[in-house]
Amino acid sequence: MNFSFTSPWYLLGLLGLALPILIHLLTRRQQTRLKFSAVYLLQQARKRSVRKSRPNKLLLLLLRCLAIGFLCLALANPNLSSGGLESILASRPSAHVFVLDDSYSMSATSDQGTLFDRAKTTLTELIEKLPGNHSFSLVLASHPARVVQDWTEDPGQTLKWLKAAQPSHRITRIGKAVTVAADLLSSAPQENKRIFILTDMDQNGWDRDEFPTALAEDSSTQIKIIDFSASQKGLNRALVEKVKLNQEFLTNRRVIRVQATIANLLPNRAIKQLPVTLVINGKRQSESMIDLPAKGKATHEFSFPLLNNDPVTGHVEIQEDALAADNRRLFVYQPDRKIKALVVDGDPRGVAHQHDSFYVEKALNPFSSPMADIEPTVSTLSEFSERDLKQYSVIILCNVRDLAIGLEQELEKFVLRGGALLIGLGDQVDPKYYNERLGLLLPVTLKSINQVRTKDKPFHLKAQPSDHPALKVFTGSMLKEMARIPFQTLYSVEPRREREFETPMHFTNRFPAVIESNFGEGKVILFVSSLDRDWNNFPIHPTFLPWIQRWVKYAAQGLENISRHDVTVGTPLVFEEMEQAPLVVAPGGIISIARKNPQSPPVFEDTHRPGVYELYHWSAPSVSEPMDSLPPKQLPADAKRLGSFTVNFDPAESVPGKVPEKELSQYFPGAQVDYSPADQSLNAASVGAGVPLTTLLFLLLAVMMFWEGWIVRKE
Amino acid sequence: MIDRRMPMAESTQFNYGPETLSEVSSLSIRAIQLVEGLLSGHHRSPHKGSSVEFAEYKDYSPGDDIRHIDWKVVGKTDKYHVKQFEQSTNLKCTLLLDASGSMAYRSPDSKSPGMDKRDYARTLVAAMGYLLLKQFDAVGLTLFNDAVVSHLPPRSKPSHFQNILHGLQDMEFKGVTRIEEVVGNLIERLPGRGMLILVSDLLTREDDVFKTLKMLKSRGLEVILFHVLHPDEVTLPFEGDLVFESLEDDPPLGLDPFDVRQQYQQAIQEQIEFYTKNCPTLGIDYLFLETSTPLEQALRYYLLRRKSLRKI
Repeated sequence: MNFSFTSPWYLLGLLGLALPILIHLLTRRQQTRLKFSAVYLLQQARKRSVRKSRPNKLLLLLLRCLAIGFLCLALANPNLSSGGLESILASRPSAHVFVLDDSYSMSATSDQGTLFDRAKTTLTELIEKLPGNHSFSLVLASHPARVVQDWTEDPGQTLKWLKAAQPSHRITRIGKAVTVAADLLSSAPQENKRIFILTDMDQNGWDRDEFPTALAEDSSTQIKIIDFSASQKGLNRALVEKVKLNQEFLTNRRVIRVQATIANLLPNRAIKQLPVTLVINGKRQSESMIDLPAKGKATHEFSFPLLNNDPVTGHVEIQEDALAADNRRLFVYQPDRKIKALVVDGDPRGVAHQHDSFYVEKALNPFSSPMADIEPTVSTLSEFSERDLKQYSVIILCNVRDLAIGLEQELEKFVLRGGALLIGLGDQVDPKYYNERLGLLLPVTLKSINQVRTKDKPFHLKAQPSDHPALKVFTGSMLKEMARIPFQTLYSVEPRREREFETPMHFTNRFPAVIESNFGEGKVILFVSSLDRDWNNFPIHPTFLPWIQRWVKYAAQGLENISRHDVTVGTPLVFEEMEQAPLVVAPGGIISIARKNPQSPPVFEDTHRPGVYELYHWSAPSVSEPMDSLPPKQLPADAKRLGSFTVNFDPAESVPGKVPEKELSQYFPGAQVDYSPADQSLNAASVGAGVPLTTLLFLLLAVMMFWEGWIVRKE
Repeated sequence: MIDRRMPMAESTQFNYGPETLSEVSSLSIRAIQLVEGLLSGHHRSPHKGSSVEFAEYKDYSPGDDIRHIDWKVVGKTDKYHVKQFEQSTNLKCTLLLDASGSMAYRSPDSKSPGMDKRDYARTLVAAMGYLLLKQFDAVGLTLFNDAVVSHLPPRSKPSHFQNILHGLQDMEFKGVTRIEEVVGNLIERLPGRGMLILVSDLLTREDDVFKTLKMLKSRGLEVILFHVLHPDEVTLPFEGDLVFESLEDDPPLGLDPFDVRQQYQQAIQEQIEFYTKNCPTLGIDYLFLETSTPLEQALRYYLLRRKSLRKI
């Protein structure tokens, strides 16, 4: 049985008990002793007498003391309970840090909502029952541990927050949370300090290295752990651990393969015929049954056709169990953007394969499929002037002698706006024209044609691994093959003054092979040999197809397709190859900006909600403004979609292991650790929720006063 | 007028003065009943007394006149024997004075109307002794509490009054009242057909005091009962929180007298009424005396009452 008082200051009124006692002592008549003869008669008379002055005075004193006592107790608003939650609260003024585990494992179902709901109920009761002179703070134990409520004695704000609180999608870090709690307690002035940990004891969050050692030095800190794991309804049987996507290439229809890894979390029981479902764009695409060995894993592969170039959002899910959060895993697939390329043939011939554009066109769309990433359009030089260049992302000039008057200016505008210009040379090329009229686009001048004689050793590309985005896929045998390609003729170039350019590819004789430069927002790529077989055999080699495709995609800025990132909740996402911080549209339409530091690539850290995040390239309002300034409320009109990524639950939190009670003291060496299952606490709380005694005490006060009045009147 | 044979009366330390004794001696008590002999001029006594005619020997006991010791017998037997002579004698009266602690009550109020109970009782006993001796009656004195403290056999010699006064002077009021037990033990030693004057406050837990009186009466004794109480003991006039400490063996009792005054007075009155009502039925003279009552008035009232009864 425990007493608690809502307004304990009124108990000071009990000092008023001294008042009637003092009055009684001061007004008490002096007791004198008298030798008398007939004492036995007095005794008999007293037995017969109903009048008893002295006992009545004592009774009056008692009644008055009781009346004052009852009044003070009633004003203090006492509550009587039998071992409820308040019994674990200290009676002395104390500092409490409540560590609430809000990791996603707390979203496991129980008889009353989720474990988190039960933890919230318990915490709400604890905070409500805190006496007025107790201060408390609230720390969330999911990673990263953070203070939700700093020291306060007013529960209003915290209770309001608790009412709306939901379990996070993060993993547990009890040790970090306890460290935060210990830091808070170090600033608390009270001598009596307590840390309440409300958790499901998920072993994932209990790393001994993360627990503070300061607790061992401060013996005044008590640890009270309330375990909610026993309240879980059912078992967390399995989870979707991983989803991997692959695309089948070189087929007329693109097929996406989804490989899902399912893990059995039950240590001693195999799972038979577990339904696994693939959902694409909200529609159930496919379903299978798999068998899982005890504590084992199984991989199942789905495949589905990609019907268009729109992004695909989907997930793999398994049959529901106690913890729904880990039963599905999201993925997104972003097909490459369709790039429209205009191939200008500067030397059309009667036979198709003799066209300068023939190999380029075939390489860009080998199956002439409308589903291809690149849609080439071949144009003669005469038609070129009639084309609307805005409809194309890339213009490829193949052995073009020169351009009609004014067309070079159109090309310049095209590149300035962000278009890509690829130039392949050849025997038709007029170097004078290129050097004089295309000076803004080309950072180099065409110096001379270098041609090897038949008997001489041809030129060869200097094949070496490269970090260039367009070339980094070429490794190993592909490089060796590329190095064997003979080049008979090529242009030597000379850089223009004060022009910046790169030469990502060279020949073995150090002649530049590819010259890359930026102009406006676009790129200009110059290949110093021909894109047909006139000057080399490159077009008939297997590496030509990916080589020309990647250069086209790179020039059109379509290579950085961020669609296959599989990020776990809370993991920062670093955009290594981006210079400008992209806009990120989180699930729910919340727009934010990735953080950009001067010396490091953009980073997006707010990955705390599972789901699909969209990335957009945008023009920041001003260079002078910091990039992590307030994001726009709406997506800007000029925002270009860069891709998307998914954020999924960290499967580590699903591991069903619990920290044994007997090992708890190892996490808090030297501290007083008190462990209790939540069911006991809650039952005790429901049984002994407390009986308010105020009304009863006021009634007793009335009885005392009535009794006292009656005695006084009688005398 | 002061009797010349009572010179010791003035030398005693008692609070009664010559006026009191003189007033008392002006009255005469007459025997109501003829016992066995006659008082000189009034009745003849069958009992032994001082006379010229030898009657018998008896063992010497304190109070006996040493002149009557037969020294020849002492010489022969080495025992003291007193010669007793046949003579006309007076009434033999035993004065039985309660010497228990309760008789020592003194009022805490110096302005209390009553005199000290013990002085009052001793004065009363001395006056009665004087009165009786003046009539040539034999007077003895027995002091008792829970047992007989001292006993003086009745003597009629005027000088015996000095013994009585001496006995009264040396007495101490202490112990518990045991009237039944004392009388039971004493009754054999009392002279038959005599008179017994009992002076007591009758404050005893004993239930059958009246039976004892009845037994005395049945022995042919004339019993006179003086019930002496201090006015405080009748009215319980005290105020305030008091702890009453018993003069006998009762445990201390703390109370406010106001609470019990009515019941106490009622108990005392019931006791007085009991004796007042029942004593005459046995032929016992009962007189309740508060110490505030002038002693001479009480004695006069009593003797007048005795006289009137005799006339009847």
